[in-house]
Amino acid sequence: MSDLSVKNLTLEYGSGASVNPILKGVSMELQRGEVVALLGPSGSGKTTLLRAVAGLESPKTGTIHLGDKAIFDGSKGLEMPAEQRNLGLVFQSYALWPHKTVFDNVAYGLKLRKMNSTDIAVKVKEVLGQLGLGHLGERFPHQLSGGQQQRVAIARALVYNPPVILLDEPLSNLDAKLREEARAFLRELIVRLNLSALMVTHDQGEAMAISDRILLLNNGVIEQQGTPQSMYETPNTLFTAEFMGSNNKLKAKVVHNDGKTATIHVNGLQLQASVRGQNIGESATALIRLEKVRISETRCDNAIELPLTTCMYLGDKWECLFGHAEDGIRAYSPYKLKDGHYWLQMDSDKLWLY
Amino acid sequence: MSTLSLPVPGWLSRYNWPRGLVVVLTLLAIFTPLSLIFFQSFLNAPFFAPVKELGLDSYRFIFDDPDFRQAFLNGLILASGLAAIAVPLGGMLAFLMTRTDLPFRGVIEPMILVPIFVSPMVMAFGYVVSMGPVGFYTLWVKQLTGVEPWNIYSFFSIVMIAGLTHVPHVYLYSSSALKSLGSDVEEAARVAGASPFQVALNVSLPMIMPALSFAGVLVFFLGFEVFGLVLVLGDPEGHLVLATYLYKLTNKLGTPSYHLMAAAAVCLVAVTMPLVMVQRWLLKSANKYVSIKGKGSRQKPLPLGKWKWLAFALLAAWLIFTIVIPLSGIVLRAFVSYWGEGVVLADVLTLQHFRDILEQPSLMRGILNTVLIGIIGGGVAVMCYAGIALAMHRKPDGITRLLDYSVLVPRAIPGLLAGLSFLWVFLFVPSWLEGGLKMFDNAFAVWLADNLIPQLRALRSTIFSVWIAYTVVWMAYGLRLISSALLQVGPELEEAARAVGAQRGQVTRDVTLPLVKYGLLGAWLMVFLIFEREYSTGVYLLSPGTEVIGALIVSLWAGGSVDLVAALSFINITLVAIGLGLALRFGVKLNH
Repeated sequence: MSDLSVKNLTLEYGSGASVNPILKGVSMELQRGEVVALLGPSGSGKTTLLRAVAGLESPKTGTIHLGDKAIFDGSKGLEMPAEQRNLGLVFQSYALWPHKTVFDNVAYGLKLRKMNSTDIAVKVKEVLGQLGLGHLGERFPHQLSGGQQQRVAIARALVYNPPVILLDEPLSNLDAKLREEARAFLRELIVRLNLSALMVTHDQGEAMAISDRILLLNNGVIEQQGTPQSMYETPNTLFTAEFMGSNNKLKAKVVHNDGKTATIHVNGLQLQASVRGQNIGESATALIRLEKVRISETRCDNAIELPLTTCMYLGDKWECLFGHAEDGIRAYSPYKLKDGHYWLQMDSDKLWLY
Repeated sequence: MSTLSLPVPGWLSRYNWPRGLVVVLTLLAIFTPLSLIFFQSFLNAPFFAPVKELGLDSYRFIFDDPDFRQAFLNGLILASGLAAIAVPLGGMLAFLMTRTDLPFRGVIEPMILVPIFVSPMVMAFGYVVSMGPVGFYTLWVKQLTGVEPWNIYSFFSIVMIAGLTHVPHVYLYSSSALKSLGSDVEEAARVAGASPFQVALNVSLPMIMPALSFAGVLVFFLGFEVFGLVLVLGDPEGHLVLATYLYKLTNKLGTPSYHLMAAAAVCLVAVTMPLVMVQRWLLKSANKYVSIKGKGSRQKPLPLGKWKWLAFALLAAWLIFTIVIPLSGIVLRAFVSYWGEGVVLADVLTLQHFRDILEQPSLMRGILNTVLIGIIGGGVAVMCYAGIALAMHRKPDGITRLLDYSVLVPRAIPGLLAGLSFLWVFLFVPSWLEGGLKMFDNAFAVWLADNLIPQLRALRSTIFSVWIAYTVVWMAYGLRLISSALLQVGPELEEAARAVGAQRGQVTRDVTLPLVKYGLLGAWLMVFLIFEREYSTGVYLLSPGTEVIGALIVSLWAGGSVDLVAALSFINITLVAIGLGLALRFGVKLNH
């Protein structure tokens, strides 16, 4: 049985003529001990979906179940208030109460559950210890660093053992360096405590690193869902393929298409590609990840010849641009290339046609 | 690990009954007095008259009265003249204070706001004693030059004084708009070669046009409501505006002509209500404009160069005229036994007026009541306002919209009218209730008639009656103070509390209120200042037990006791000064 299940959820802002649909029928499941990431560009409705699960937004139709209990049912007019859902929610801005100490921030949820104060002290200490905040209980939020504030926000959401913990862009308020450490910390914590978590993020790297499953939202509907590997390696749509990685996009003319592989013309050169999109017509888009393009100084199969324009140093490698920025091809190289013409080989199973 | 579950909420918390209670009480407090005025205006005799009929007789009477027409016209002229003076001066003042290197800005800033917090009645009295025909400054100038320098009682003088004392209102709104406007647009104009004056005229002021037009409508509206200034300064030459016409109506026919007053009141509200709605609409669009902010708020003030001292001299002249002259006149008058031509100041200094006040219990009660209504009444009013603001806080539904518009209604009712309508509430609601209760003859109704009705009647002669009138009159102002504090609390702080399981009441008690604590204390201080300043609301409610300084001054002025008015004005100014001092000391924002 899944911990959280959402079925055909729709939600709109405004009414009448100015109605603005945000979610257009979203369904998802979250199994016990699983981490699901809601991924998507801004405006795709991912935060709205999370807030609807938390009870902070009112959906129009559909159902939300927590275990076997319905917490929202549009057809029955049932909407359990946020405060009765017993969920843990970590805000993007952390939303720590500035007038309470770290201890009181974390203890508040237990106090509302009428726990006696000695039990509260024990439980809060335990949770703060688990998050490496044991010595900071007496501090106020403004006396903490960004990373510590984030952990207090997580502790506050975890302290009463909610069945599901909701995280709204938990890492986006941290600076780049800290974010990688926090990402590892969060993944380790989720595995160690066996949490069921639903996390919103706009960063596909973060989603792939932390979650067991990704739901990619686009404009209020789920574009594709699956494990991070399947999302990255076998995207079903151009949107998913573009969102999940760094790509070269080529305008292609389809010469022959047998449903699995196709022969295409790119700038007059003939290439073999694998068909991934539905309903491909005369002209289509061919897409290949930057790291799958192989650079060769000699002529080879399934390759395009282009002059090297420039190389950009990225630290661990070079990113080289061949041709012009608008319709050229980018590829990684372990060393700086000399000027001249190169053949850019694109294996037919890595060159996807949409 | 099992989830710790929440206690089951009781049946009481399932309904938001505190909110319902607040809404019902607020609507009752706003609409009972107002509907009484409307009802009375359509009767052809006062409520208490045995014979009365519905009809338009009272409207016919006042429309036929040439005084009414003159008062209405005067009101329009006064309001337009006031706006024509206050808006350009206030806008320029705001530009000078927020954008330029005008000298002594730090000292001047708190002084600019003083005219807002001094009762207009006191202000007008100050002008009489310092610039009237036998005023201190008039006589001194006459000694030096030998000619009568000015006539303070002409309608032109009244418009000038009203205009100059309302400059701070415009200043408040335009300076806060200017502060939120990025300085980059001004720097661009300077780089292109504009002088400071051209920058103000061509860039800054046009960019804060929405705020300026809001302030313009606001001062026009305030001009239409002016009461004390015209009551004092307009009397000798017989200049009337609607509010003073209404006040004089009491004596016009010999008997209390409530129906005529109500008709005049409805005419006044018919003008002010649309103005309040326009203000609300302008304020919304002004706020939209403000959100387009430029970047780089920290900037070097614009150097005024050779204009610096000229600008300073003009500002100083304005400060002297609106603050120093009237207030110094009051202080002098409070400490001299009499004043006239040829009197030497040192010979007539005295403390006798204050000793007279000590001997009159009603005046002493008035002072005590004024202090109490400011401190305790102000505190309770802030609690009421906080209750209403919380009932509307982040609940975008029909009830909030209803409250939102309802609280604007008292804003359109001048204090004088509000006091009158509350007087009627206290006079007539108990007798109607009694009449209504008599129709039931069960024990409960009898008990209510025997116990509740006398209590209600007794309220009329307690300071409570003045307090509720004050609280309703200043409701829109107080709510703005509190809701601006509430908006500072990020919505996610409240959502976080709900997410961990706090119910509505718990969110308010544990998160929202602790976070707005200092905002509420600041609001208390502001309401204290406003309640000390208020004078017109208490005029009709004045009776033994309900004296407040403002209403006492109005009644003593009518009786001609200048000495006592001077001493009471001095005490009133002192109370306001203490409040202002505290506000400045604790850094309370005065600009609301």
